[in-house]
Amino acid sequence: MHEPELHDLSDDADYAASIQQGSASISQNESRRQSTSNEPDGAEIVYTKDNVTIHPTQYASERISGRLKLIKQGNALFMTWIPYKGQTSNARLSEKDKNLYTIRAVPFTDIRSIRRHTPTLGWQYIIVVMSSGLAFPPLYFYNGGVREFLVTIKQHVSLVRSAEDANVFLVNDFQSPLQRTLSSLELPRAVPVANVSSSTADHSPSSADIERLESDKSSASFNQNSRQRQKNHDPARDLSIQVLEKFSLVTRFARETTSQLFRESHLIDGFNPNEGKKHGQSSASYNHIQSSIDSPKYHDEVSVPSDPIEFDKISLVWGKPRQSPLGQQEWATFLDAEGRVMDSKALIKRIFYGGLEHNLRKEVWTFLLGYHAYDSTYAERDYLMSVKKTEYDTIKKQWQSISPEQAKRFTKFRERKGLIDKDVVRTDRSLSFYDGDDNPNVYLLRDILLTYSFYNFDLGYCQGMSDLLSPILYVMRDESKSFWCFVSLMERLGPNFNRDQSGMHSQLFALSKLVELLDLPLHDYFKQNDCLNYFFCFRWILIQFKREFEYDKTLLLWEVLWTHYLSEHLHLYVCVAILKRYRNKIMGEQMDFDTLLKFINELSGQIDLDATLREAEALCICAGENGEASIPPGTPPSLPLEDASVYPQLDDDVL
Amino acid sequence: MSYAYLFKYIIIGDTGVGKSCLLLQFTDKRFQPVHDLTIGVEFGARMITIDNKPIKLQIWDTAGQESFRSITRSYYRGAAGALLVYDITRRETFNHLASWLEDARQHANPNMSIMLIGNKCDLSHRRAVSTEEGEQFAKENGLIFMEASAKTAQNVEEAFIKTAATIYKKIQDGVFDVSNESYGIKVGYGGIQGPSGGRDGNSSQGGGCCS
Repeated sequence: MHEPELHDLSDDADYAASIQQGSASISQNESRRQSTSNEPDGAEIVYTKDNVTIHPTQYASERISGRLKLIKQGNALFMTWIPYKGQTSNARLSEKDKNLYTIRAVPFTDIRSIRRHTPTLGWQYIIVVMSSGLAFPPLYFYNGGVREFLVTIKQHVSLVRSAEDANVFLVNDFQSPLQRTLSSLELPRAVPVANVSSSTADHSPSSADIERLESDKSSASFNQNSRQRQKNHDPARDLSIQVLEKFSLVTRFARETTSQLFRESHLIDGFNPNEGKKHGQSSASYNHIQSSIDSPKYHDEVSVPSDPIEFDKISLVWGKPRQSPLGQQEWATFLDAEGRVMDSKALIKRIFYGGLEHNLRKEVWTFLLGYHAYDSTYAERDYLMSVKKTEYDTIKKQWQSISPEQAKRFTKFRERKGLIDKDVVRTDRSLSFYDGDDNPNVYLLRDILLTYSFYNFDLGYCQGMSDLLSPILYVMRDESKSFWCFVSLMERLGPNFNRDQSGMHSQLFALSKLVELLDLPLHDYFKQNDCLNYFFCFRWILIQFKREFEYDKTLLLWEVLWTHYLSEHLHLYVCVAILKRYRNKIMGEQMDFDTLLKFINELSGQIDLDATLREAEALCICAGENGEASIPPGTPPSLPLEDASVYPQLDDDVL
Repeated sequence: MSYAYLFKYIIIGDTGVGKSCLLLQFTDKRFQPVHDLTIGVEFGARMITIDNKPIKLQIWDTAGQESFRSITRSYYRGAAGALLVYDITRRETFNHLASWLEDARQHANPNMSIMLIGNKCDLSHRRAVSTEEGEQFAKENGLIFMEASAKTAQNVEEAFIKTAATIYKKIQDGVFDVSNESYGIKVGYGGIQGPSGGRDGNSSQGGGCCS
């Protein structure tokens, strides 16, 4: 099949051109003393640091090292970062890449803020955010020296710590941050990407677009009069979304900044449609947003090569890097002497970013699923388990005691048992834990599902449940414990299996709203092509991506989702992240419903989980309150609303 | 891979009647008793030849459980052929045929060719539906009928190809407007216009295999 060539502005040559143009206009406007060298005339170097490095991709092996300098000229302070010549850690990074990232004499009057990040493990880095709203990629200080860097700056220009975040240092902050933020959002209303929805494979804006963007940027930076214009204009939503799209065309550094701007505009104008809604996460999520802005690297969408696997490899990621899984030793530090989890919030956050080592899952999943309370002691948990074991056995007896004679007169039981019997032998049998004839674990699956169908007789059994139970039993290796963990999970996911599909419909509906919010062109495309029912994401949601990833990856994804750290609905952002990743291909090839369904189905096993999670996280943060407002209250996996016994029933023709 | 036509097929019927196994037997010529149950839909494809023309079958294998019906209905759109499958050893799967048929009639193109398949005819010792009953149902509803076994491969090839031959004939007879994709037919590069002979190429004329 012929693959159309797709381009966008993350194409390096275009990007380099825009950067060069941008820096030229900056120095022209600023100093009026145009210099051809990287260091202005009569300059004094007040700070220099070697081995300051950027990581252009997610791979630590690919990095560009250089020298960072602060240069004083008259009253003006400039920053430069020049990569070393001829040293490339990886063949994939060309001289062009180096040129692309070079920072040439940026005057501090153009810098809005510097964010410092000093992790306890790993390298310190900074992110320099321009007043235009653009940010340079994180600069890693391999030899330390961030503090010295900031101290030196402070000696020459005004540098104040942000009241909002102790790690942010505002440069020349004479004005209110509001004005600066809004001025940097001074963008034309017509957003090029918004127009490509149904058009051709070529998504690259013309060079005229680039020029316009560039001149917009510099006028925003330098035209004092224009700063007020946008101020009263718009609620955060429109701005942010447009900015998101707009900047993503201009630069691969933009998204981070955009999400920050988005956040700030929320903070400032108090546009909070979600205020009345209980979700108890807002303070935590702001902290999180703050830290996630630190994301050391992320990337723009690139054109889609023919092979999705290849695409995953080179795909450029934003959002916070994933951590290593939580291990036994670290887990012990979360517990007090009697086994209580002392700081469940910290634990949740840790699991969100790293997941769990496999041998810990057995213990920790019981908390994540809500079977055990975080503040329970070892003794309390042991007691609960023994009580629950008895309870399980009692429920199990209910169907075990049905005699063949009784079964003859009990159609519903026979049907359920028949379905379950048929399905457990078709569940993960390629896994050694479930393979072979007369595998006792397959019988356990059956017993637990049948017992559940008695415990929750109204819901009964539906296909997909065995997919949800299989990993739980695989992890727990205990019948009663698996049953109760499954019960806890089904408290949230049960509506996925409502006979009228209302739980699924409400999630697919929320997903369509999120795509509308986060990728309007893609939404419009789906609308035009009669794909708004989002049935192509049905399997993803029904069984939480279990068929899309390898088994162990699914375990990781699930524990991340179960933290509900950023949102109870992170799974929907995962959907958006995957769709966004392939949006160019979907729209470029003009996929219709059938083709799209087949394409999505065939992504199974080809999706990079870590990258997807990072993007989902970033999207969730970007969407912020508007995202949560797009998801109707009670949408699974939220716990059911107190008063509402059913989920909103949506008409088929709406979906 | 060039083809004269591409036909979209959909396989429907109760859960556990062997839809996925029929597909796998047809596309891969193997029987895999242990496979994961179908959630939503799975896809398969194979090239066949009818009247010396290469035809690609794109086959949609759907989930059978009742609660997924509302989703399954969206898959009918643009299907040129359907395989409606029941399990000859489970009476209830036969009893549900009427409701499957109703779905198909309501949501598919009225010219869709439907093949009724009584699967698992290798298990004749556990037969719960006679061949005559299958034939009778097919006759009453204007379906083509065959008993087949995904396990032994008996009549599997024939079922898929005979359906294709029926569709092909409809094209030759001008029943289908092949330029309109809602009929579930796409014309490929090797497409040849005009009726050049109406006889089925490969198709078997056999009816029940296990009577």
